[in-house]
Amino acid sequence: MTPAARAQFPAAIVAARALSQRVSTADGTLAILSEVELAVKAGETLAITGASGSGKSTLLGLLAGLDQPSAGEIELLGQRLNDLDEDARARLRAGRVGFVFQSFQLLPALTALENILLPLELAGRADARERAAHWLDRVGLAARAGHTPRQLSGGEQQRVAIARAFATDPEIVFADEPTGNLDADTGARIIELLFELNDSARTTLILVTHDDALASRCQRRLHLVAGRANEAARA
Amino acid sequence: MSLAKLGLWLLRRERASGEWRVLLLALIIGVGSVSTTGFLGDRIKRAMSEQGANFLGADLLVSSPRPIETWPRHDLKTSSALEFASMVSRGDAFQLATLRAVDAAYPLRGSVRIADRPFEAGTPRPAQPPSGAVYVDQELLALLNTRVGDAVQIGEATFRIAGVVAEEPGQLGGVFGFAPRVFLRTDEVEATRVLQPGSRLTYLYQFAGEPDPLAAFSTALKPGLDSTQRLIGSREGVETLRGAFANADHYLQLTALISLLLSVAAIAIAAHRHALRHYDQAALLRCFGATTAQLRILYAAQLLTLGLLGSLLGVAVGALMQQALASLILPDAVTRLPSLGAVPVGVAVVSGLLALAGASLPALLRLIRVPPLRVLRRDLPPLPVAAWISAVFSGSALLLLIAWHAGDAKLVGIFVGALGALVAVLILLARLALVAGRGVQRISYGPLRFGLAQLLRHRFDSTLQLGAFTLALFLVALLALVRSDLVAGWRQQLPPQAPNHFLVNIAPHQQDAVAAYLSQHRLQASELYPMVRGRLVSKNGMPIADTLPPEKRDSNTLRRELNLTWTATLPANNTVLAGRWHSSPPGGNDRRASGPAKGTQAGAPLLHSDPYPREAKASAEISVESGMAERLDLAVGDTLGFQIGDQSVAARITSLRSVKWDSMQPNFFVIFAPGQLDALPASSIASVYVPPSATSVLPGFVKTFPGITVLALDKLIANIEAVFAQIIAAIQLLLGFLLAAGMAVVVATLLASLDARQQEAVLLRTLGAQRAYLAKGLWSEFIALGVLAGLLASACAEVAMALIAHRLFELPVRPHPWLWLALPAAGALLVGLSGWLTTRHITRVPPMQSIRALN
Repeated sequence: MTPAARAQFPAAIVAARALSQRVSTADGTLAILSEVELAVKAGETLAITGASGSGKSTLLGLLAGLDQPSAGEIELLGQRLNDLDEDARARLRAGRVGFVFQSFQLLPALTALENILLPLELAGRADARERAAHWLDRVGLAARAGHTPRQLSGGEQQRVAIARAFATDPEIVFADEPTGNLDADTGARIIELLFELNDSARTTLILVTHDDALASRCQRRLHLVAGRANEAARA
Repeated sequence: MSLAKLGLWLLRRERASGEWRVLLLALIIGVGSVSTTGFLGDRIKRAMSEQGANFLGADLLVSSPRPIETWPRHDLKTSSALEFASMVSRGDAFQLATLRAVDAAYPLRGSVRIADRPFEAGTPRPAQPPSGAVYVDQELLALLNTRVGDAVQIGEATFRIAGVVAEEPGQLGGVFGFAPRVFLRTDEVEATRVLQPGSRLTYLYQFAGEPDPLAAFSTALKPGLDSTQRLIGSREGVETLRGAFANADHYLQLTALISLLLSVAAIAIAAHRHALRHYDQAALLRCFGATTAQLRILYAAQLLTLGLLGSLLGVAVGALMQQALASLILPDAVTRLPSLGAVPVGVAVVSGLLALAGASLPALLRLIRVPPLRVLRRDLPPLPVAAWISAVFSGSALLLLIAWHAGDAKLVGIFVGALGALVAVLILLARLALVAGRGVQRISYGPLRFGLAQLLRHRFDSTLQLGAFTLALFLVALLALVRSDLVAGWRQQLPPQAPNHFLVNIAPHQQDAVAAYLSQHRLQASELYPMVRGRLVSKNGMPIADTLPPEKRDSNTLRRELNLTWTATLPANNTVLAGRWHSSPPGGNDRRASGPAKGTQAGAPLLHSDPYPREAKASAEISVESGMAERLDLAVGDTLGFQIGDQSVAARITSLRSVKWDSMQPNFFVIFAPGQLDALPASSIASVYVPPSATSVLPGFVKTFPGITVLALDKLIANIEAVFAQIIAAIQLLLGFLLAAGMAVVVATLLASLDARQQEAVLLRTLGAQRAYLAKGLWSEFIALGVLAGLLASACAEVAMALIAHRLFELPVRPHPWLWLALPAAGALLVGLSGWLTTRHITRVPPMQSIRALN
């Protein structure tokens, strides 16, 4: 990271400058994101909102280093992502970034406990099994440790996914529509759980949502309209 | 936990998945087929090597068609034996056997094992039986319906069977040799009165001793031997047999390789589907921070484990199957062959890993390069792997496998070319068949229409399944046809009253008595041909081999002694193609069939001592069979030199003839004009037709003329058939692997389409389709596939069979209606079963559960 850039994002755990993402289609180039500016400090919570197709998930993917932007700069955990290749970005994420997905993304062949174990094992944590059990207990599913995702309800699956995201003590958690596949009641309980764990672990949380109730729980909100950002302070 | 361990942990958790099972199964089938042939080949080869000097029964062996009186000075151990064919009879049963008369010292090396009962390992004993007794092959006991202790007749002498030959030097038993072995004492041959002037005899002289004296003896001996005599060291002896075996082994290996290649197709499909189902997993792991290198280790550990597991299980299957194969080819394999070797295990495991790597690396490469963003955007395809990388990987792995197994560039070329062409034809046929299926689908209704629609919709899968299964069925059918057809065709082609017995070794003084006996029993005999044995040695004054291009020098005609006859008249079924028949006017093609040509007219013998005469006297005429003339570049006007016994004979080719070999008359490559060979000791040969009602005459004939060998054509054909059946049963066992591999391809392709099928099934069931409707649809689809494969395989087998019968064996081409029923039925059963077993749960799972699973 250049000193100039560092100066521009002091203490930011994740930041973007003039971030644009364009894709080529049969009808020409399509701008998904245009000139997005963003800086999130450690411990902050940010909701990225917007209509379907406004570029929310694309922005989340770019900030998490899952993709490379067409233009602009991204910084994650003190590293300028533009300078890193796919593998270097993966190494940066290992154990330091957590994810929660709309479709849970649990491995069907693994039990609830094993799904939580997976990122811990990958990060080479010596106390992986104990930590996984601890986090499964934190989300209230200790009794379901040996159950596979098929044997769990949608809400239970998402609780396992949240436990998995926090289990490695990440510095930042990215959540993509975490309540998108759940009914309102279950969704509300999941939101409670997510924020409760986030508060106690003092993790930075960036989530994408349609859900106003969820967005309103975040300290900041970035609203995307046709790929352009419009940040509103918390209401 | 290390990455490799993590990979294995994930693998263990997914062990129930269909892809792993298919992949493992395909690998077991492929490696199983390769290791079956590998194990057996290795055991036989080692048996040959381990026998070493025991193989010949001596350190040095000299074989000669006549006795050798003088030897260079030596102080080696010696033994001599005499080998000849003769009838052995007991009561009304008689059988042609190979007799070996031995002295007390035989064999000098190794041992002959004699047992008291058939199928026993026996104990090493001298091969020379007690006085008045013989040792016989167990096969002969069955053929003569007799037991140890019974008496048998050989010529004019009676012998007691004192034991069964369980093992003798140089024999691996089973397939080799049509006439069972009998050991008797040299000093008792005379009493049989079987040997006649002109009888085919082989004198075997064995020598054993220290290497130096042996080498000196061998060097001194060589210049004195003529072209009909052979000096064989123990190494050459083994090498000859090994060479012959290596050819057979190559073809068996290649048969096994087809199964392996078909398994590779199944593995490739299963690996592709595995990768497809694991893109999300890989993307998730990348989100968690896994690098490409880490994913590579993780998935490579999984693949290597599967590869080793599948290969080792395959080796275990191979170890079991080779035993079955061994007992098919060599009935007493357990006692004769050494135990399993380690080398084939290595070869099979490496083959398995190479096949797995070649087939699954392209899919794996895509898997480890999956973009992590896929966790957010499910539609995102994994990064494409350059097509050439896949092609190079798979192609080079396969070529490497083939080249390694065949060890022969030309054979690999032919094999790859033939297989490529076959695959291309099958794909084309499969496509055409699917087009035809469209027509059937239009006029069908209900579940059948639904099933056929499925078949046509998954066109790529259907083509692959059809191709793989057609290949398997085709090869199985072809082998069955070759077995039944060629032998049956040969039998059928014989004219109804064609001679069915040959009478060989008729002494000159017996000719009249034989003719009288036959006419007394109203049996029709052919002409009687005198016969001497001689070797072709020169052409126009040059050693014959020197006149030929290198590739023609290995002709069988040059290596063995030819049966030479003489007659004034052109035999029936012979046609002069060039030149003129003996002493007939120029230009005249004398095709008259004539009465018996006893060939006893007086004439000046043309014997002289120069083995390479430049020109023969004008009266020394021979007629040569046209095929032989072509093989040896002979033309009318050439002078040929023959070595007959210790005499040299020269004669000029005056005509070339075509011979109808299947006429069942005595046929000859070389026919002399009368008067040229009369001074030589000759016996005669004739063929005779014995109607089924008159077979009871034969035992009497054998008793009356014990020295005359009666060759029953029926028995000969039955013998050939039995040997054929043994070999084909062995290959069919290998084709079992091929069928299994074909089924693995079907299952793998079905698994690959399982998600899509389940989605369709859910939709249909939600829309009100009953379970039975879906089940019938699936059955229709798979049965249609199996029937189509069967029909295609029938067509391929008919064409191939027609080509083989017409081109190779000159047999009439005939259709096989049963094939067109049997193959589609077999196809329907096998494909139907494997298809239904793979997909049946689609119809059983409640729609709600399916929807949740798909989400």
